[in-house]
Amino acid sequence: MANNELYLNIILELRRGVIVLAVLSQLDREQYGYSLLKLLSDQGLVVDQGTLYPLLRRLESQGLLESSWRIEEARPRRYYVISPQGRQTLSKLKEEWESIVVVVAKMLK
Amino acid sequence: MNLIDIYIAEVGKHLPAKHKNDLLDEIHSALQDMLEDRSQQSGRQIDDDLMIEVLQEYGSPEKVAASYLPERYLIGPRLFPAFLKIVQIVIPIVAVLAVIGLGLSLSRTSLNPYAWIETVIQAFAEFFSAAATSLGFIVLIFAILEWVMPTLKEKTWAWDPRSLRKISPPDRVAMSGPITAIIFTLAAAVIFNFYPQVIGIGYISSGDITSGKWIALPLLSEAFFRYLPMLNLLWVLQIILSIILLRRGQWQPWTRWTALVVNALGIGLAYAMLTGPALVGLTAGELSAVSPLQPNTADFLVRLMNQGVRLALIIAIVSGIIDMVKISIRLFGKKPPLVFIRE
Repeated sequence: MANNELYLNIILELRRGVIVLAVLSQLDREQYGYSLLKLLSDQGLVVDQGTLYPLLRRLESQGLLESSWRIEEARPRRYYVISPQGRQTLSKLKEEWESIVVVVAKMLK
Repeated sequence: MNLIDIYIAEVGKHLPAKHKNDLLDEIHSALQDMLEDRSQQSGRQIDDDLMIEVLQEYGSPEKVAASYLPERYLIGPRLFPAFLKIVQIVIPIVAVLAVIGLGLSLSRTSLNPYAWIETVIQAFAEFFSAAATSLGFIVLIFAILEWVMPTLKEKTWAWDPRSLRKISPPDRVAMSGPITAIIFTLAAAVIFNFYPQVIGIGYISSGDITSGKWIALPLLSEAFFRYLPMLNLLWVLQIILSIILLRRGQWQPWTRWTALVVNALGIGLAYAMLTGPALVGLTAGELSAVSPLQPNTADFLVRLMNQGVRLALIIAIVSGIIDMVKISIRLFGKKPPLVFIRE
């Protein structure tokens, strides 16, 4: 039981590290919170809502995302899209990710 | 008002006013999306049961609100060790004072065991009250320091490992030093300015706690209060210097010069108080007139108090001189070899 919990915590930590990269990569086209959640989940990355929404806020306050409220289907929704600064950051993050993948893959051989 | 609206209002209670409405609108919108999605997937109507399912998955209002807030501390991890150290110093001092107070009270209490028990219970109550007040005072000071001191993040950015070579151990400021100085200086300033009457002799007139009358005789003379403006200036300087040392984390020539000036002022003032008019205003005649003490006992007590004040001033002068010598050695002496500090 304790081991399982430890394993789940490590997995959670591992995923937390890549969520920013995943979110930035999917916001080339604007998305509202729930649509982004589904988009990520459809591609195999399940993110907790309690993690995603505050993260979107944080990335926006850091200037990596832009957001605006729009009324759609008679309901207001907040749409997020990557900012020019976010694009620059994403390209650096991609390079870093590729290098990590190569290094870790080598280690795990 | 449906369950979602009640939930949103509950989340709002735990969020700060800034951006609150915007955050709540977004959470509301997210919950509506979730509900619609679940309803479409399962073919169920949006009703209370579905709302309960969705809200349970979304998390408790407190947890959701907390996820939007940064971690906040009253006393953060960088100040907590110093806080603990100060508490470990102050609480035993309060305990020792309480034991001394208890001894004095018992010596004046009649030999009735009930009176003794009452005195002991009262001493315990006073100890807990004094300990709680001291603790509250220390927490308040540390909370202010936590707020005033630059954040760890800013320090990390500004920090350069090469700067370690420039700081030899004598230049390092141990955090507990200035914090202790701030706490004790503030305590002295508050007591002498606002509660000077607590410095005196207090006793129960008839020796019985329940029926006796508490009599307090202030100790300090008018001459003492003439020195108070200068003492206040000295205390303010001491507090400012301590805050600067805390913020900078190391001694610099100008802070040493300031410390020299503060020490010199302190020594000068202590010397003036030592050689000037008596600081104890209470006379043996007054004491024996209002207390059951014999005139010769009252005279002995008053002389003891005068000698005690003189001794405290002499100790202050001597320790001030020692401090000045130490500071001067650091300022004018040969610099110690630079060392690489490992922590």
